[in-house]
Amino acid sequence: MDVRREVFFIDGRAGQRFCVLTRPVGMPRGGVLFVHPFAEELNKSRRMVSLAAQAFAASGWMVLQIDLHGCGDSAGDFGDACWQGWVDDVALGWSWLRAHCEGPRVLWSLRAGSLLAADWLHGPALEQPALLMWQPVSDGRQHLTQFLRLKAAGEMLADADARQAMSLLRESLQRGDGVEVAGYGLSAALAAGLDAASLRLPPGYTAPVALFEVDSRPQPELSPALARLTERLTKAGNLVRSEAVSGAAFWQTQEIETAPTMIEASLRMLERVAA
Amino acid sequence: MSAVPAVDTASAGRVPDERVTDAGGDAERQLRVRESAFLFECAGESLPAVLAAPVEGSAATGVLVVVGGPQYRVGSHRQFVQLSRRLAESGVPCMRFDYRGMGDATGLMRDFEAVSEDLRAAVDAFFSSQPQLERVVLWGLCDGASAACLYAPTDARVAGLVLLNPWVRTPEGAARTQLRHYYFKRILEPSFWRKLFGGGVALGRSLGGLVGAVRAARVRSHDPAPAAHAIQDLPTRMASALAASAAEYAFFLSERDYVAREFEGGVAKSSRWCCLLEGPRFLGIRRFEADHTFSTKRAKEDVAVATLAMVMEIARRGGRMEK
Repeated sequence: MDVRREVFFIDGRAGQRFCVLTRPVGMPRGGVLFVHPFAEELNKSRRMVSLAAQAFAASGWMVLQIDLHGCGDSAGDFGDACWQGWVDDVALGWSWLRAHCEGPRVLWSLRAGSLLAADWLHGPALEQPALLMWQPVSDGRQHLTQFLRLKAAGEMLADADARQAMSLLRESLQRGDGVEVAGYGLSAALAAGLDAASLRLPPGYTAPVALFEVDSRPQPELSPALARLTERLTKAGNLVRSEAVSGAAFWQTQEIETAPTMIEASLRMLERVAA
Repeated sequence: MSAVPAVDTASAGRVPDERVTDAGGDAERQLRVRESAFLFECAGESLPAVLAAPVEGSAATGVLVVVGGPQYRVGSHRQFVQLSRRLAESGVPCMRFDYRGMGDATGLMRDFEAVSEDLRAAVDAFFSSQPQLERVVLWGLCDGASAACLYAPTDARVAGLVLLNPWVRTPEGAARTQLRHYYFKRILEPSFWRKLFGGGVALGRSLGGLVGAVRAARVRSHDPAPAAHAIQDLPTRMASALAASAAEYAFFLSERDYVAREFEGGVAKSSRWCCLLEGPRFLGIRRFEADHTFSTKRAKEDVAVATLAMVMEIARRGGRMEK
């Protein structure tokens, strides 16, 4: 199926949000909204996400990628962003998609994007889209710690104590002061939001949930973390299907990598949603 | 290289006296700068671009960001986004784009030495969207700087080059590859941190490995070149391109960057490069207390201010030549 692409800005709070729309030429069979990961992971995964969007569109889906406030090409600086603002941006993207596309809708997310997706679902949205979560982060606090370590690593190489550097960063954020990590300003409000986030779905969530992760080994297996998350969500009554596919950790590799098996698995999931 | 003239940013004329602050800056910025997004074509593929331009009084000299390394048009920690807004606030239109196969562009990924068609299509698109343009400055980081350099002599619209930490790959790249891949990756691994906190990493030895790799890369780069008879190496081709082009050129180098050190140590001391660094189109070398990607707010701001000064100088010289 032929694919058309458009890039544009839509108005959001405190400025415009950059969007990429990838869609089939005819009537789409449904819509997909992508929620991107945190900080540099957005950059590293851009190519992979673009390839996936093209593949989804080629099989009939309208795909909207939205850059959150202070991220990618959207207005503002990263340091101005806050967690709730990002959740509102998910809502903004969702309204746009709903206004422009009929049929089933899917919320697709990568890494910390899944935390935002889940927080949006807990809000007043009252929607139950199918969820396609790539390499979901289940614990915001841990994710924040990993991000702060980039700063601590820099200071460690300058002979300071890494542990002390970490606690100084945490203290600074708790005082309400922003910090700068690996070129990103991080406000206390954003850090607090990420810190508090965890991947939970609203009670009675019955739409299908697909959790996919990559594994560099030839025989991919679910990581203990994803197995735990799957078990937790299943116990909570959610309809979860988890799968590990072979591929590189494309959101963090030094050079740009892609994981075509992740796209194939996702296309199978979308087929099930459309059926 | 200490004799290289420093650039006086204060003489740039339109550089604002005050640094733009984040607080409350957005609303004001939106009044002065308009950002627009569009797709343009290159050999049947669709390439995305974002243009930041002043709402009124766009200058005749624009800046095209040539992305390098494993990045896309926003740059590491959004450096290119911030740069483009900063330039546009001062009247200079700035376009960022993705090569084929990079970021949101369609097509196959390609090496930085195979992007001249992409660059030409981008300059065409920039001139179409900003009809007042008379000349363009290519601003490139790492292998984006190398790509900009190689492209310059093929397009008369290129009046200037701002080359940041230019990538000058030579046969002794192996040690550097170790630096770029192994040491960077390791700090992202939880096992490294567990070992570190548990005392399982001998810091001295770990850093010793780093120093050793750096030394290997450096020592080998001073060996007599055995491949001088073979196809010209990248630094030589870059020097030839600079010599053949009519563009003014400036180098921005980070203090804490092995790519910059290799450029200085191995390349800038060759006689061919020395001629270039004494030529009339050489605009100077600026040094920044920064790492390879200028990953602090301060470094990014310093680069933006210095870029603006260079663009003003290139515009001044370009305008004079046309008169």
